[in-house]
Amino acid sequence: MDVVFNQLFAGLSMASILLIIALGLAIIYGAMGVINLAHGEFVMLGAYTTWACQHYLGFGILLSLPFVFVVVGAIGWLIERTIVQRLYDRPLDTILATWGIGIMLQQLVRIVIGPESRFVSGPDFLRGNLEIGNVVMSNYRIFVIFFSIAVLLATWALLTKTEFGTKLRAVIQNRSISECYGIESKRIYSLTFAYGAGLAGIAGTLITPLFSTIPTMGTSLVVDAFLVVIIGGLGSIIGAAAAAVMIGELTAMFSLVINDTLGRIGVLACVIVLIRLRPRGLFPENTRG
Amino acid sequence: MSKILKYDLVALLVLFIIVLFGFPTFLGFDGYELNLYSRYLSLGIVSMALALSWGTTGILNLGQAATFGIGSYIMAMHLKIKGSADLPDFMVWNNVDVLPWFWVPFHSLSFTLVAGLLIPALVGGLIGVFMFRARISGVFVAVITLAFLVAFQLLVVNYQGYTGGQNGLTGLAPLTLFGWTVDTYSIQFYYLVAGCLIAALVIGLYLVHSKFGLILRAIREDANRTRFFGYNVASYETVIFCISAALAGWSGMLYTLVLQFASPTYMSVSFSLGIVIWCAVGGRNSVIAAAVGAIIVNILQGKLSDVYVEGWHMMLGATFVLVVLFMPRGLHGLVGTVWHRLSQRKADKKPQTVLSKKAKTGQTEGGR
Repeated sequence: MDVVFNQLFAGLSMASILLIIALGLAIIYGAMGVINLAHGEFVMLGAYTTWACQHYLGFGILLSLPFVFVVVGAIGWLIERTIVQRLYDRPLDTILATWGIGIMLQQLVRIVIGPESRFVSGPDFLRGNLEIGNVVMSNYRIFVIFFSIAVLLATWALLTKTEFGTKLRAVIQNRSISECYGIESKRIYSLTFAYGAGLAGIAGTLITPLFSTIPTMGTSLVVDAFLVVIIGGLGSIIGAAAAAVMIGELTAMFSLVINDTLGRIGVLACVIVLIRLRPRGLFPENTRG
Repeated sequence: MSKILKYDLVALLVLFIIVLFGFPTFLGFDGYELNLYSRYLSLGIVSMALALSWGTTGILNLGQAATFGIGSYIMAMHLKIKGSADLPDFMVWNNVDVLPWFWVPFHSLSFTLVAGLLIPALVGGLIGVFMFRARISGVFVAVITLAFLVAFQLLVVNYQGYTGGQNGLTGLAPLTLFGWTVDTYSIQFYYLVAGCLIAALVIGLYLVHSKFGLILRAIREDANRTRFFGYNVASYETVIFCISAALAGWSGMLYTLVLQFASPTYMSVSFSLGIVIWCAVGGRNSVIAAAVGAIIVNILQGKLSDVYVEGWHMMLGATFVLVVLFMPRGLHGLVGTVWHRLSQRKADKKPQTVLSKKAKTGQTEGGR
């Protein structure tokens, strides 16, 4: 029984990181219909920025978080202004263009920093485990879970309580009418993209102690995040959260029953069937063009 | 004969001459280069297969590499059996005692050749029926095919005893075709591959210019409207998905022959998106342009990655972004625009016809 709880916990901590990645992707997709395949590379950039902070400035992970958010957000903003902005009426082409951007970012890191993996140490005061009975939970993973819930709430607040969020929701509902009311949709889009990229960067920071930091680390993450967004329903934050937990836990449970690889195949199969049955996701938002 | 068909036939003839005579005769290729160019030509087929589903019908298939990989593994299984005395070596290492049942029929060459087309088609058809019956389109097709590809590659790597796992199938025997042992560095083999490419292009052109192709293009423009006209859109989409998969399998078989091994990297996400890149660079709206795109990008890759490997990927990414941004219809669209401008200048004083107006607006489109 303890094995199951341990595995459930591992699934939850994976889900919480997936959630932060998918949240950015979901907002970008929900707001502008852009499937951002470079999102995994934003995660990778976040991880490398964290490494740079620790290596050159001696910052701990927590101290680098706001810094990473700003840096990766700025890169995202730049990419949106130069490339993505030209593709709003061609949703499928955004997949291709952002994949090209992803290749470039990956290669840039490989040339500038090098292909070998980089080590980032976790925060000292979160070392150690919390043990309840025979269930062992690492403090760092518990922190990640709570942090992702905080990010979720902050994003929800940003979208519902602030002027920016109101404008963004207006643009999502109907872009041209919002523009008639004086909302600069282009500016809103750029900021949204930057926010999503910044979230991906934060996720990159959080996984550095858990994953090895290599140039290709984003590719597998983005496929998962992509699935989370689609299953959750277009641009639905609640949906993304539910789907992230579902995929994280399904992966954990499948790998307990069978093995890791077959577990992942099982999850992918479930996802494919789910999209077939509910093409608009678990919690579809009613949006108009 | 319509105007577009005439252009396509001229393009096919030019390609035919370049491929059959230009490369081997005028450039004086031998051995290694013939093998290299056979590889490029075989990849032209899979790119052209993608153009049938993506450019013609508007279904972006990000999992094309899966059916390509199935074809390449099928060919490799036949050659592996021929190449090993008793059991394939990797099965012995993985403690598999008897040849698995699904390996047994691959003793026969004719079965292999048929299976290399039919099994990919069957897989494509199953996924197609699964998706298109539910009227899934656009981004969702991209996601499902991508997820399928990832799952399929994991599956192949996981069952090491049956598929060779991460190493793939290596140590293959040369193919024996009607008593002729194929030497992949020979001009005969090059002509075989070139012949396959031309044959595949003829099939593609026939499909595109038939009434079937017309309906496919109607589906691309507006699937719902086509449905209201009484066409069963799902079955058309499934059929073109099958054909595209079969052609990809064909391409995969040739690819295994050229490289003399099959590897799970043929089914990777980056290979699959590579196919999309070739197709986009050449021009997704024309089957010939898509094939040419694959050949050009691979020739460039062959030349440039020798000089600097890291820089090549950078350039590939940049090229891709630029093509998507500024040439949504690829080289094909660029040639079309230039051609149009030239003919426009000639006919400057004539009143503008409806046709040329249409062609003009056509250039700004290219959304899907």
